Amino acid sequence: MPQRPEARQRLREIQAAFGRSLRADDAGGPDSALQESADVRVADRMAVYRNNTRHNFRNALELAYPVLRKRVGNDFFRQLAHEYQVAHPSRHGDLHWVGQDFPAWLDVRLAGSDYAWLAELARLEWACEEANVAARNEPLALERLASIPGELLENVELRFQPSLRLLRSSYPVWSVWQANQGDDAGAPVDLAAGGECCVVTCSAERVAVYRLDATDFALLELLVQGSPLGPAVRTSAADAAVLQRLLAWAFGEQLVVGLSSSAPA
Amino acid sequence: MRTRPDVGWIEAHTENYFHDGGPGVRALERARAFYPLSLHGVGLGLGSADPLDRGHLERVRSAVRRFEPALVSEHACWGHVDGEHFNDLLPLPYTEEAVEHLAARIREVQDYIGRQLLIENLSAYVAFAASQLDEGEFLAAVVERSGCGLLLDVNNAYVNARNLGLDLESFFAALPRAAVQEIHLAGHSRRRLGQHEILVDDHGSAVCEEVWSLYGQALRYFGPVPTLIEWDNDVPALEVLVAEAHRADGILREFHAAAA
Repeated sequence: MPQRPEARQRLREIQAAFGRSLRADDAGGPDSALQESADVRVADRMAVYRNNTRHNFRNALELAYPVLRKRVGNDFFRQLAHEYQVAHPSRHGDLHWVGQDFPAWLDVRLAGSDYAWLAELARLEWACEEANVAARNEPLALERLASIPGELLENVELRFQPSLRLLRSSYPVWSVWQANQGDDAGAPVDLAAGGECCVVTCSAERVAVYRLDATDFALLELLVQGSPLGPAVRTSAADAAVLQRLLAWAFGEQLVVGLSSSAPA
Repeated sequence: MRTRPDVGWIEAHTENYFHDGGPGVRALERARAFYPLSLHGVGLGLGSADPLDRGHLERVRSAVRRFEPALVSEHACWGHVDGEHFNDLLPLPYTEEAVEHLAARIREVQDYIGRQLLIENLSAYVAFAASQLDEGEFLAAVVERSGCGLLLDVNNAYVNARNLGLDLESFFAALPRAAVQEIHLAGHSRRRLGQHEILVDDHGSAVCEEVWSLYGQALRYFGPVPTLIEWDNDVPALEVLVAEAHRADGILREFHAAAA
C-alpha cells in the first residue's frame, strides 16, 4: 500500500520540533506536541533525551580518543565534545563515525593555543580507530620475496594490510600515545622534541603503533603508494641496507599481503 | 570465548559489526561458531519521516549475510531528522499515520534484507498529545500491516508503566501472542526530579524484582519465549551476567514444567 505523503509530513513536523528541542541548550521542549503530566514536567522529561543524545555522542568520542581525553582531563574533553557536536552533529545511525572530523575540527579550534598539538594526537588516534575495524588479509612470509630472482626484484610492488596507516607529525605524538597506554598519569613528554613518523596497523588481536626513522618511513610511504622496490629506493634517500631492514620489519610484523611485478620501463 | 559460558544464545548490536574486519568482528565470528546469534539494531531509525539511510541498510544486510543470525531486530522508534542523527531511540506518536509510516518502512527493510524483523517496544519519557492509540494497539497494528514480529522488552514496559501510566495488563493483552518471538530483560536507573522520579532505561544494573515478576506474567501471556539479559553499561563480571541469564532460564523452565 503506497504511503500517503501528508501522513509523513505531519510526522515530520513533530520530529523536526523534537529535534530542535534536543539541540537547544535551554530546558524547553516541543510543548505543543507533548502531553502534559501531573507529576514530572515536560521539560524535565525532554532533558532525559537531551542527556542521552549528548552522552552517547561524547561516549563515542571518548572511546575513539582515550589518550587525548586523558591528556586534557574530563572537563575540557566534555567541553570540546559538546562544541564539536554542535559544529558536526552526527550524520550516521552508527556512532562509530562521529569522531571522523574531530582532528580537523581541533586543528581550527586549538590553532594558536598551547594545545594545538592535540589535533595531531587526535589524528593518530583516529588512524588507530580506522585500523581497528579494517579487514585483515593473510600475510606473506619474507621467503616469498626471497624466492623471486634478484634481477626481477627491481620491479616488485608490495601490497599491504588494509589497516596500514602512515602519519608524519610535527609534535612527538607517538611518544605521547605510548606514554599514556596504562592507567597511570603517563610520563611527561617534551613537546619540543620534534615530529615523529608513525605507522598504525592492526594485528589479529590489537592495534599496534610504531615509530620509524625518517628514512625508513619515506621508503615505506613510496612502497605503500605502489612504487616498485627499485624506483622507491632511488627516489628516497634509502640504500640497500635500509631497504633490507624495512622489508624484514614489514614482513615480520605481517604487514605485507601481496607481491606483484610491474613490467620494466 | 575463553570460558565459553553456559548460556543458550547471544545477542550483539548490529552496528558494532558493520566493519570489514578487526578484533571485534573476529570475536563475534568465533562466538557465532558456538552460540546461536541475534543481531539487534539501534541505528536505522525506522520511524523517521526523513528517508531511510540506504548505506546503513546495506550494512545491516551485509551483517545479516555474514553472521546468519537466528533473529534480527530493531526498535519502534525514530532517530534522525533534517540530516542529523540523534543516536538515541526516540518515541513516535501513536497515530494511524505513524503506524502506516513505520509499517511501510519495516516492509521495505524486510524485503531488502530478506528476513523478518522483530520490533522492540521502547522505554519512553514523553507522550504525544496527538496519540490516538495506546502503545499495545500501536504495536499490534504495526505487526498486522508489516508482517514483523515483536521483541518484548519487559523492562521497557515496566518503565513506561511508571513514567507514563501504561496499563500493563492491557498492553500485554493487545499484543498478538504469536508475534512475540524474543524477550528482553534489563535494569534501569531512577532519576529524582523534585517530589517525583523518572525511570531511565540504561541497561546498567541488575533486573529489579518488579521486572522479574512482570516477566513471569509476560510468559503466561506469550509462552516460553527466548529471553535475553541486556546489560551493556557498567558491565559486571561475567559470572554476574550469566547468573541473571540463569535466573531467566529457571523461570522459563518452571513455566515449561507448569505448562506440561
